[in-house]
Amino acid sequence: MDFLSNTVVLSRMQFALTAIFHMLWPVLTTGMGIYLVIVEGMWLKTRNPVYYHHARFWAKLYVLNFGIGVASGIPMEFQFGTNWAPFSEATGDFFGSILGFESAMAFMLEAGFLGIMLFGWGRVHPYIHYLATIMVAFGANLSTFWILVANSWLQSPTGGSMVNGKFIVSDYFQAILNPFMLNSVLHMFFATLETSLFVIGGISAWYILKRRNVAFFSKSLKIALATAIVVAPLQIWIGHLSGEQVWHYQPTKLAAMEAQWESIPAGKPASWSIVALPNDKAQKNDWELSVPNALGYILEFKPELSRPLRGLKEWKREDRPHLVTLVFYSFRTMVGIGFFFAGLMLFSVLQWLRGKLSPENISEQRWLLRAWILAAPLGYIAVESGWIVRCVGRQPWSVYGLIRTADSASNVPASNVLTSLLLFAGVYSFLLFCTLFFGNRILRKGPNLDLPVPSLENQPAVEVELAEHIPDRRPVETQSEQQ
Amino acid sequence: MEALGNFLPQVWFAILALFLFLYVMLDGFDLGVGILSLTTSNEERRGILMTSLSNVWDANETWLVLMGGALFGAFPLAYATILNALYIPIFAMIFGLVFRAVAFEFREHSEQKLFWNVAFGAGSFLAALGQGFALGSVLTGISVDKAGHFIGTTWDWFNWHSVLVALTLIQGYVLIGSTYLIWKTDGELQTTHYRTAKIAALTTLIGAILITITTPVLSENARTRLFHQPEIYIFALIPILGVLLIWQLFKSLNREEERKPFIWTILLFLLTFIGLALVVFPYVIPPQITIYQAAASPSALVFMLIFIGFLIPIMLFYNIYQYVVFRGKVTGGHYDG
Repeated sequence: MDFLSNTVVLSRMQFALTAIFHMLWPVLTTGMGIYLVIVEGMWLKTRNPVYYHHARFWAKLYVLNFGIGVASGIPMEFQFGTNWAPFSEATGDFFGSILGFESAMAFMLEAGFLGIMLFGWGRVHPYIHYLATIMVAFGANLSTFWILVANSWLQSPTGGSMVNGKFIVSDYFQAILNPFMLNSVLHMFFATLETSLFVIGGISAWYILKRRNVAFFSKSLKIALATAIVVAPLQIWIGHLSGEQVWHYQPTKLAAMEAQWESIPAGKPASWSIVALPNDKAQKNDWELSVPNALGYILEFKPELSRPLRGLKEWKREDRPHLVTLVFYSFRTMVGIGFFFAGLMLFSVLQWLRGKLSPENISEQRWLLRAWILAAPLGYIAVESGWIVRCVGRQPWSVYGLIRTADSASNVPASNVLTSLLLFAGVYSFLLFCTLFFGNRILRKGPNLDLPVPSLENQPAVEVELAEHIPDRRPVETQSEQQ
Repeated sequence: MEALGNFLPQVWFAILALFLFLYVMLDGFDLGVGILSLTTSNEERRGILMTSLSNVWDANETWLVLMGGALFGAFPLAYATILNALYIPIFAMIFGLVFRAVAFEFREHSEQKLFWNVAFGAGSFLAALGQGFALGSVLTGISVDKAGHFIGTTWDWFNWHSVLVALTLIQGYVLIGSTYLIWKTDGELQTTHYRTAKIAALTTLIGAILITITTPVLSENARTRLFHQPEIYIFALIPILGVLLIWQLFKSLNREEERKPFIWTILLFLLTFIGLALVVFPYVIPPQITIYQAAASPSALVFMLIFIGFLIPIMLFYNIYQYVVFRGKVTGGHYDG
């Protein structure tokens, strides 16, 4: 149990734990924000109350996740100082500035309009409300942008150099537009959207299977499916481009993703291990199941590689990642889920074209609906696996090639870190339990289709409402239900 | 170049002070209301208290996140060293804020209201306590080596002076929370908070006087700053203005005015804040590291000024708009208890 007295290991565990838990909440709200923009926009355009009820129903799940996302995100920002002080000092010029931008542009925008989006119904004109919904979704996705700018800079740092142990930026735009940036931002943007689409689709499928509000939920299932037609294939393509970049800029990570110990020279057929038992000590796979030429096809769509692929053995032990098994299987998990989503989307579209998804027929599609329910949690698993590949595969570096993780940690007594780590583990598990518990309660209650729909005309402007109003803390329906 | 090199860190010192002030003022009343909720045994009243915050607490808390991010970018050394030194109070604050935040939503859905009431109140208290200790130890000073790295021990932040500052900050939060509730509520609830505001004003005043006397005794930096001419005249103004403001605050409380107590309290906070900033300046990690030593490179400061500086008026605008939309009294949640 040496690691219990190792501050670096404990700090890494704490960062990993808080990041993995934190991710669960914003991944849904970021994507679902876009869905809410879609349904509210459709309501304003068509005036069909169904879309209004969709906006109100899904917003309940949204707000449940939002508050916890905010709460669990605060430690992420402060941990850089408490646990990674040398890292913060060395990278502050760029990394710190970017976190500052994220707060000023994204978090504040989101928070500044959230109150109106959640509690402003009937208090502002629907168009102002729609603006607030757009701003909240825009803010969330802007924060995806900035946090991925910051993280992709850790993967491929450009725009400056290390001077006396500090990263001095010579060109900010080059640092922001680092090689990984565009693909990483898009990959994460589509990841949050895809996860949310399959959560919305899965929940809708659950209601349809239970024959509750079938017509209502076949609508949300179709909106999710229609969006997934674009998102699912595009996500696979962007994932492929990201893999090519890793090969080019982070050869140690690619070798770990494929558990490739030996180098493959250019022009030679590259076989690919579907499954393997990597052995870090012996620097080989104890067992593997390989497909000839497949790695060539995966990376370049031809059997031989045009560039050499360097195996893990080419690096000194201290210069390459060690949790090869974790990276190897996390990568496969992510890719597998991505293809499952695309397959489910294709099959569902086929059924849609055959008219089997109409409100009258849809509940007959029992296996398809079950597959959608199964898909609901998978997006989360894919996102977490992807981040494990990204950050564990980057080791031993905190900033790839420039700053080592071992040199990045604060000199805090291990007992302090152990205490905060255990507290986080306890508190975050409890928050996850509460989310599932109360989320389940919201779902069992279902949508309230009797909610009065605000009229677009004769809407009182803000000025009319003077003092003595009761803020609708909750949507109206819970008020009546609890009385 | 020398002038520019000094000017940029000063601008960022001012911007960070603005963010911190907005946070302390805005989330100050949130936390104050949270602490006050611990003294309420009535479920309906507690519902009103939480409703009065439900649409603003998130935006208010975001000023802290913004302050943290901007400090990281503008003064990386200060961000690293202060947070490193204050490991325990910072995590106390974080866990407090986590419980305060989730209580809003979970309390709505839960039948175990009592649990989430305690999470809300105790979370607010813990967050305020952590902030108080952090402020206290920055005032007392953080031990660092020549490069500005923390060399003290885990419990350095805990001493009688930081206890005094923490307790006073909590009183201050209760004061601003009470005056906020006077503004946002009416009836019996309002009457209660006229009373709590008076008590808190008195205890805050006592704490502030004690801190004003003891800080120069403890901190050599504060001593030299305070008793240096011509600054001494500015510093002498602060207690005089403070007495005037306190007097106005008590007067408006006795007259049972609705908005003025909140405004006087904000001005008191502002005055205290200016006083503290003047004592600390030009240090960012008292008593050794100045803003010039801790600052990021000039290009980073300019870059951040372009991206963040111009957003400040916009951020202020939509935050104020949110308060305009939700203006008026909170006369009841839907909470039936």
